[in-house]
Amino acid sequence: MNKNFNFCIVDDDDIYQFTIKKTIQALNYSKSIIAFSDGEEALHFMLDNLTNEEELPDIILLDINMPIMDGFQFMEEFIKIKPKLSKKITIYMASSSVDETDIKKAHEISEISDYIIKPIKQGKIKSIIEIFLKEKNTETK
Amino acid sequence: MKANLNPETIAIIAINNDDIIYQFNDGAEELLGYSASELIGQKKTNFFILDEEYEKFKKDIASKYKIKTSHFNPYTILAQNDDYDAREWTVVKKDGTRFIAHSTLIPLKSDKGENVGFMRILKNITNQKNIENDLLRKNQVLNAAEKITMMGNWQWDTVINKVEWSSNLFNIFEVNPKEKLNFETYFSFVHPEDKDIVSASFDKSIEDKKFYDLLHRIKLKNGKIKTIQLLGEVVLDENTGEVIELIGTCQDVTEQRMAEIKFRGLLESAPDAMVIVNELGVIQLINKQAEKLFGYASKELINKPVELLIPNRFKSKHSSHRGLFFNAPKTRKMGEGRELFGVNKFGKEIPIQISLSPLKTEEGLLVSAAIRDITVQKKAENKILEANERLEVLANKLTAQNTQLADFAQITSHNLRAPVSNLNSLLGFYNIAETEEEKIIAFQKFEIVIHHLTETLNTLIEALKTKNRTSIPIEKLDFKEVLDKTIQILSGQIISTNTKISSNFEDVSNINYNKSYLESIFLNLLSNAIKYKSEDRTPEIYIYSVIEDGVIKLKFKDNGLGIDLKRHGHKLFGLNKVFHRHPDANGVGLFMTKVQIESLGGTISVESEVNVGSTFSVNFKE
Repeated sequence: MNKNFNFCIVDDDDIYQFTIKKTIQALNYSKSIIAFSDGEEALHFMLDNLTNEEELPDIILLDINMPIMDGFQFMEEFIKIKPKLSKKITIYMASSSVDETDIKKAHEISEISDYIIKPIKQGKIKSIIEIFLKEKNTETK
Repeated sequence: MKANLNPETIAIIAINNDDIIYQFNDGAEELLGYSASELIGQKKTNFFILDEEYEKFKKDIASKYKIKTSHFNPYTILAQNDDYDAREWTVVKKDGTRFIAHSTLIPLKSDKGENVGFMRILKNITNQKNIENDLLRKNQVLNAAEKITMMGNWQWDTVINKVEWSSNLFNIFEVNPKEKLNFETYFSFVHPEDKDIVSASFDKSIEDKKFYDLLHRIKLKNGKIKTIQLLGEVVLDENTGEVIELIGTCQDVTEQRMAEIKFRGLLESAPDAMVIVNELGVIQLINKQAEKLFGYASKELINKPVELLIPNRFKSKHSSHRGLFFNAPKTRKMGEGRELFGVNKFGKEIPIQISLSPLKTEEGLLVSAAIRDITVQKKAENKILEANERLEVLANKLTAQNTQLADFAQITSHNLRAPVSNLNSLLGFYNIAETEEEKIIAFQKFEIVIHHLTETLNTLIEALKTKNRTSIPIEKLDFKEVLDKTIQILSGQIISTNTKISSNFEDVSNINYNKSYLESIFLNLLSNAIKYKSEDRTPEIYIYSVIEDGVIKLKFKDNGLGIDLKRHGHKLFGLNKVFHRHPDANGVGLFMTKVQIESLGGTISVESEVNVGSTFSVNFKE
């Protein structure tokens, strides 16, 4: 299997960043894992690399509660810059919140593929990658 | 010529059996215009009378004495029978003009009793005739008028119990005009149910020598019922002062009565109280509902000013309003948009709703007021208002509790689940850790998470305690003293950041509050203002108290970083919500401040502009 995709973590929780990185690395699939502590940092990175396919993430795990720019605010901005991006980016909302309003709100945004409640098990990351690769194959065929 | 026609003048003309005029007096000269010398000795009998009248006279004589032939002399017949004749004749004067005369023919006899001729005595009765005609005409007019008004007139001679009716009265009673009448004739027509009041009324009229107008029903021979109204006068004997006659009119008011009954019925069947008032504000008519509503009997109100039903404080305005209504009468609600009150007999005010309608009648413009007692609606309205108020209070409480519940749901969801899920992940990482180094890293992380979790739980417990505390000690606190104490605590940070602090508590210098809460509020808001200072400016903080809309407010104004309220406003006071990449931001201070303020019934709000500064406002309970 080719390691030709980038993982991106957007979360202000250091411990979570640490454990999820370990989990993804353990699967030994992805090319790189980049992490940002809030939505604004992630947005700036993407604005700097709009057409840089090498650096742009393929899959984002996006937290909701973050300082400066939270997950939903990031999504608003992301939708604005989406047409300028040279790459299709899959976004999962990953939060420890079991709040119905958060879940509902996330499902209403079509750019969000799914809502994952933390903690995220290894198997979940695996299925996310499998879905991603399957879609990628159908696109290239 | 007419001047000559003296009504007192009597003409005497004597004619003998040979039709020779032998006497013609001065009166005859005057009335007929001939001179005596002209006529005396002449053979003339009918020279001044009309042929047709003569023929009529002749016929009458013929029928009286049963004479079959037409060849006879009526004067002779009259003389032979020693009879006389009196009648009206038209007299033709010498100049051709005519007048009506009363003529009496008397046979003349000699001393031996022999018939020698006849004498005609004439008297001018033109004036009398005119008066008679006039009377006749007037009677006709009266009859016509009575017919039109369905009225008749009557006279009752109480001495001989003889009753006379005008012709139309016979029509009203549908009685043959030839019938002989007395009081009993009339009384037999009185409706059985009305007989008592009618006889009582007549008795009283005679006793009091004053006629009491009477309205009653009559039952005709064919069973038809009519309502009549009797108006009358009592005639007294000039000498004895006794009642000798009753005279008066009788009107068939069946239709009016029916209309009145219908109107009355309508009035009574109206669901509202009805009060009918004339232009002067005098009550003309009220219905039963109005009697009930205002507690007066109908007769207590009729012909009384309508202001009797209006509370004193509205009286003066009412008469001018009434004037306006009569100027432009149209159906409308009264006092639209205002609360109206009536006052009953016992002085109690009643909330009412009034609709006015103009009513054109023969007696002029009236206004009918439909009055509805809205006490029940008013009570219901008040009840609804009260219930609504209570609901609002309840809703506010529930909303507050809901918000708190939502706060706690969020807190457990975000602030407790996150560290727990981290612990789970770390445990997984620890279990698969292959090297000692990895395990040490995991333990370091465990420590961080557990520390964080402990802090969060402590904050939560503190918040729960604050929210559920039922009795919080309250004391009078001086703002300046609390500020000084806070500045002491924060002196290290104030000096190191070179923060300038000024204050003004002139408007409100103290407040009844919980000491530790107020100290905590000062500490949190002041330390926040220092913590989030702008690197470009010397920090300046201004703390002051004001009263706005009756609410005491304590304000902390800084010139720091400011907050983008559009983006962060919703999470400003949440637990562990941070929006500054500040090393010391822990998202606990404002959360606890809000919990403390709200537990004492106050609110906290903020105004802010990015890179200009923020003003936090503590709004104490009213």
